Amino acid sequence: MADIQSNSSATHGKSISRRSTRVDLTPMVDLGFLLITFFVFTSSMKQPTVMQVDMPYDKVIDPTPVCTSCVLTVMLDKDDRILYYEGALENHPVVKETGYSADGIRKVLIEKKHAVQLARGRADAFILIIKPSDESNFKNFVDMVDEVTINNIKRYYMDELSNADKQLLAAQKPVLQ
Amino acid sequence: MGRAKLPRKSTNIDMTAMCDVAFLLLSFFILATKTKPPEAVAVLPPSSVSTRVAKEEAIMVTLTKDGKVFLMLGDKAHKDAIIEDINSSRQLNLTPAEMAKLKKLDFIGVPLNMLKGSLDLSEPIKPENMPGIPCGDSTNNELVDWVRSVSNSYKGESLENLNLCVKGDNLAKYPAYKNIKSAFKKNDIFKFKVVTNPEGVPADSELARNPPAPAK
Repeated sequence: MADIQSNSSATHGKSISRRSTRVDLTPMVDLGFLLITFFVFTSSMKQPTVMQVDMPYDKVIDPTPVCTSCVLTVMLDKDDRILYYEGALENHPVVKETGYSADGIRKVLIEKKHAVQLARGRADAFILIIKPSDESNFKNFVDMVDEVTINNIKRYYMDELSNADKQLLAAQKPVLQ
Repeated sequence: MGRAKLPRKSTNIDMTAMCDVAFLLLSFFILATKTKPPEAVAVLPPSSVSTRVAKEEAIMVTLTKDGKVFLMLGDKAHKDAIIEDINSSRQLNLTPAEMAKLKKLDFIGVPLNMLKGSLDLSEPIKPENMPGIPCGDSTNNELVDWVRSVSNSYKGESLENLNLCVKGDNLAKYPAYKNIKSAFKKNDIFKFKVVTNPEGVPADSELARNPPAPAK
């Protein structure tokens, strides 16, 4: 189309070849859709979400006594392991181990919640205490709080490991390895 | 009896319209995608079932997997106020030129005693070489000072405006997060947000049966 007619004699009369101005747009359409596909696939649609964390105002200690049997203590250990026991440590409860899978901690929480519901008549008497160890990671903590949301647990507390708990973790390790 | 003659149509279709549509869609997608805000360092946040969408221009505390802490100071007005505040409260003696330079930074990742020196460097330190804001135990927790300046800059405003986020890496150790938390607590900030990736709610869970009211 951009040919330059060098032959001057061709300028007179009929001999100019009339080419169609139509361009085949098929390759351009192909290119267009290719680019669309590329942009659609590379752009990440998902926006990050946020999880609200409210810390208790712990300068005032709530003196309300809680029922010992309603408490489940969960200790987040290293290597994505969870150790948990029911009730108070003074009563020498059985310490069990579980993991973060759906069959692991979620099942434990559902069963405990159900047991509290049966014993106390209301499920919100259930109290969960989460004690992350120094070797647990941030994901473990978020997963655990997520589990609380998933199972609709109304009362949970974050706590530090006590010395007795630390001994318990240390005592568990050689057996489980 | 002769058969009815089918008209022979050309198989060529006019592609102009299709081309128009393709490029219209293309320009729409390019214009509609938002570019990612600058990030201090690559951090892979954990996923959660939370559906609250993160607001932009948050005061963002980033925790990397090696436990380094970086701070992003939110929108321009507050950022300036926070920097003025920390300069006066910690007697950093920054010159106006250094202040201007600091206000232009996307994030802060050096200890306060290195801040002046790092601003004078002709070539800025690469984010991966930055030591991070010291956020250890009670003795050396400079994040407490930063968060104090942050809360000072929001003085007189409703605390709802304070959009404080913690973005931690999956593999960051829990004590590092605990130190960040205690820095907030020391400044009487009890509410903050943890940045996560969205994740589906497991079927047949209590949350799936009673989904919460959508957050505003």
